[in-house]
Formats: sequence, C-alpha cells, structure tokens
Amino acid sequence: MAICVVSLTTAAQAGSQESLAPGAIAIVVHKDTQVDNLSMADLRSIFLANQQYWPDRTRITLLVRAPKSDERDFVLDSIYQMTEAQFRQYWIAKMFRAEVPRGPKIVFSTDMTLDLVVAIPGSISFIRSDEAAEGVKIVRIDGKLPSEAGYPLK
Amino acid sequence: MMRSAYPRLTGLLCLLMYSMGSFASDLISQSSAEDNSQPEFQIIGFGDMSYVSSDAARPDGFAIGQGVAHLIGSLGDSLSFFSEVSATAKDSNYAFEVERFILKYDFSDALKLSAGRYHTPIGYWNSSFHHGAWLQSTVSRPEMVKFGSKIVPIHFVGVLLEGSVPSSRLGFEYKAGFGNGRHDNIARAGDAGDTNQNKAWVLQFNSRPHDLYGLNLGLGFYSDEVALVDSPSVKENIASAYVAWSKETPEVIVEYQHSSHELVNDSSVSGDVDAWYAQLAYRLPLDDNKWKPYARLEQTRVDESDPLLGAEGLDYDGAILGVRWDFHHYAALKAEYRNEEFNNLGRESGFRLQIAFVLTKM
Repeated sequence: MAICVVSLTTAAQAGSQESLAPGAIAIVVHKDTQVDNLSMADLRSIFLANQQYWPDRTRITLLVRAPKSDERDFVLDSIYQMTEAQFRQYWIAKMFRAEVPRGPKIVFSTDMTLDLVVAIPGSISFIRSDEAAEGVKIVRIDGKLPSEAGYPLK
Repeated sequence: MMRSAYPRLTGLLCLLMYSMGSFASDLISQSSAEDNSQPEFQIIGFGDMSYVSSDAARPDGFAIGQGVAHLIGSLGDSLSFFSEVSATAKDSNYAFEVERFILKYDFSDALKLSAGRYHTPIGYWNSSFHHGAWLQSTVSRPEMVKFGSKIVPIHFVGVLLEGSVPSSRLGFEYKAGFGNGRHDNIARAGDAGDTNQNKAWVLQFNSRPHDLYGLNLGLGFYSDEVALVDSPSVKENIASAYVAWSKETPEVIVEYQHSSHELVNDSSVSGDVDAWYAQLAYRLPLDDNKWKPYARLEQTRVDESDPLLGAEGLDYDGAILGVRWDFHHYAALKAEYRNEEFNNLGRESGFRLQIAFVLTKM
C-alpha cells in the first residue's frame, strides 16, 4: 500500500495540482500516527469512539470544534449524520454507559486545533483543507486526499 | 450486618462525590489538554420529576423521580473509573444506592478488563438507558426492566471482559462477565458476596454493521443458580435478543427475553418466562426537531409452575402512547398515556408527565 504523508509544505511543493481544495474538510492526525488512509467507515468508528486506539495501541484523542462553527456542522452532517442535539446526547449516553472515560476535547479555532494535534500523540481532528499547516499529517479518506476528485468530505 | 453498613457506605460515597464536584471543574481546567496521562474527572447528573395520574388505586400526584450522579475518572490512557450513585424518593425518605462502581483497564479495543458493579449486560435497555431518564424517549422503562425488576437481573457484581473489532464490517462487540448471582432478595445483586458457590455468568454479543449505520443487533445469555431463604435452589438460564435502530427517523427498539427456571434438586419443577417490548418513535422535522412522538407495546408472561417467579404475579400487558418535547438541549418534557394490566387484574389507564434533565458540560 502506498504511503502518503502530506503536509501543506509538501502539497505546495507538488504544485497547484496538489493544492488542498478550499471547501473540503481535511482529517488531520498527530504526525507520528501510523495511519495514512482510513475508510469512511473507519473514520466514523473513530469519531464515534467505537475505535479508541490506533493499531500501535496509542490512545486516540478526538478534538472537535465548539458549536456554531462551519467545520463542526459539516462533520456532524457528513460523518456523524446527527443534529447538534443528537450529537450531545450521543456523547452523554456514551459516557453514561461507561464506554468512554471522557468526551471529545473541544477546540475553539483552527489554530488551537493544529496546536493540539501537533502536541497530543494519537490525536485526530478536522480543519478546512486550505488551512492545513506543517506539523500535522493529513489522512487520506477512502484513498483520496482533499484535493482529489471523489474525496468524500467535500 | 451488611445491610446496616450499606446505607452508611452509600452516604459516604455520595458525600465524597458531591464534595469532589466542587473540585472537578478545577481539576479539569488544571489538567493539561496536551497530556492524556494526567487524571481527568467529570461529573454528570441526571434528574427527573413527574406528575402521575391513574384510575387505579395508587397514589396520584407529583413525584421526584431519581437524582443520579456519575463520577467518571480517566486515570491515564488505559485506566478509568466510573461510579454512579442514585437517590430515589420513597414514601417517607430517600433511598441511596451505589448503582455502578467500575474500575476498567483497556489493553486494546479488543480487550478491556474491569471489575465492579454493573448494569447486567443482557438486552438493550438495561445498559443503554437505565437511570438516565433524559436519555430515553419515554417517561418510564419497559416493565421487564423496571427498577427492582425480578424478570431481569438488573445488576451484576464481578469481573467483565469486553471488546470490539471496530474495523470489521459487522462492528462486532462482546461482553463476558463472571460474578455474583442474585441475592436471596432476587431483585438485588449479591453486592457483598454470592449466596452460594455457583457464580453467575453472562455473555453478550452485538453488532453495529458499518453498512447500516444506526443499527444495533444483540444476543445475550445469562446463567445462575439462585439460592433462596427457606426454599430449594433454582437454576436460572436467560436468553435475550434485541434489535435497535437508534436514528430517530424512526427510532425502533425491540427486545425479547426468555428465561427458564428449574429446581436444582427436582428437574420436574420448572417454568418459563417470556417478556418483550417493541417501541417506535419518530423525530418530527418541525420546530427545530424538538418533538418526538412515541408508542410502545409490551408483555410479560410467567408460567404458574415457575419455581422462582411463578408466585410473584408478574404477568403484564401494556401499551403507551406519548410525546417528547426537547425544549432545551439538556432538558425534555414528556407526556404519556398508559393502558396496562398487571397480573390479569383488569385494565387500568393512566397519564404521566415528566420533566427529565441532564447536568453536564458537554
């Protein structure tokens, strides 16, 4: 399987063909995470905390934007397929059932998201693809990068 | 002696939990968001209040339901603690109870080992909603899993192995428990030890298929030998199955349980219990999705010859129709009409109004 680790720098170096498409949501992980591609089903499983560990047993830390951001609305609609109220109830129920010891960490800006993804091993989050920065890894979804046709999070 | 110590223990735990509440937010803010190895604590509370009216000879009026406090502690990447304490209004006082008390170590997604007191992982409702009235669409629980139910062993004390294979297309999950069976008060778990040498075991498998996001299918088995005061021991085997579609357009929950009971020293004395419910709800696409009408049918049948439950008068038929109004992110008002028959004594009708809420920082 081809391994593709892309930062904004490498994307920019690849020229306009590889530049990240504005309007898409990029899934970003800590740079040491041993994952380069996730299926949409795997991504949903991680975002639902049904999968809580990466294959190397690093704990997954999910960072989610605070309410009233376009990125959060997009992810709730496309990955969770939930309304804001259903999303809250889902996580409260998940903790109620003792299936997770904590809910997702809430982040308030793209800068905060990037800072924490850089700092927390095993972290995963989402940002607008044109706001990606160095130090994080963009993960392919169903084998596609945000700039590619058929990327599912557009 | 154990019973006299129990209220003191629960009272102390409640006090500890509530006093920790004042520190919890400080702990959360002080723990670095960048370091998952640092302990984090979270408090979640549930509460409900109801108005009950019925044409049966039971007290009507306002009732404080249950106050429930959860303390959830993440003690690092792999170790976590979960506790749940409830306060339930009784005729002249409040009953405090340690509902759950779980210390869990995660080896991986596929293998998590814990010990403590659980909601018995058999069926859907008992472990999905339980004391969280705000979480469930309806005012009340199905009769088969009501508080103090004798049909389902509601709590389980012991050790539990659980895990999942999230990457499999079937979203396979399992739970396997070994511990104390029912107390000689069969509505309770053996909190301070089993009443005999035969431990109970429980096994549950469920699947959340990736291609049918929202679907949850499960099968469960439970086995125990129940020792009763002044009565011969009874072998109990329970099988359960459920289907739940958790998306709210619609929400569907169907659960069935079959129990068989047999005297240990005389297999000719036996009996069966069949219990089921089917619930349908639908989140209406109006007024910002705040309204959810619902309906539920349920039935319990117990053989008169059943050596454990035959004399308990647990036959039940019920139908409910209601609506839930989520007027706030963390609170809901529910109105419910009920028509039911207990132990073949004639049908009765009732109305319940409930406000249920959750206290959390989510």
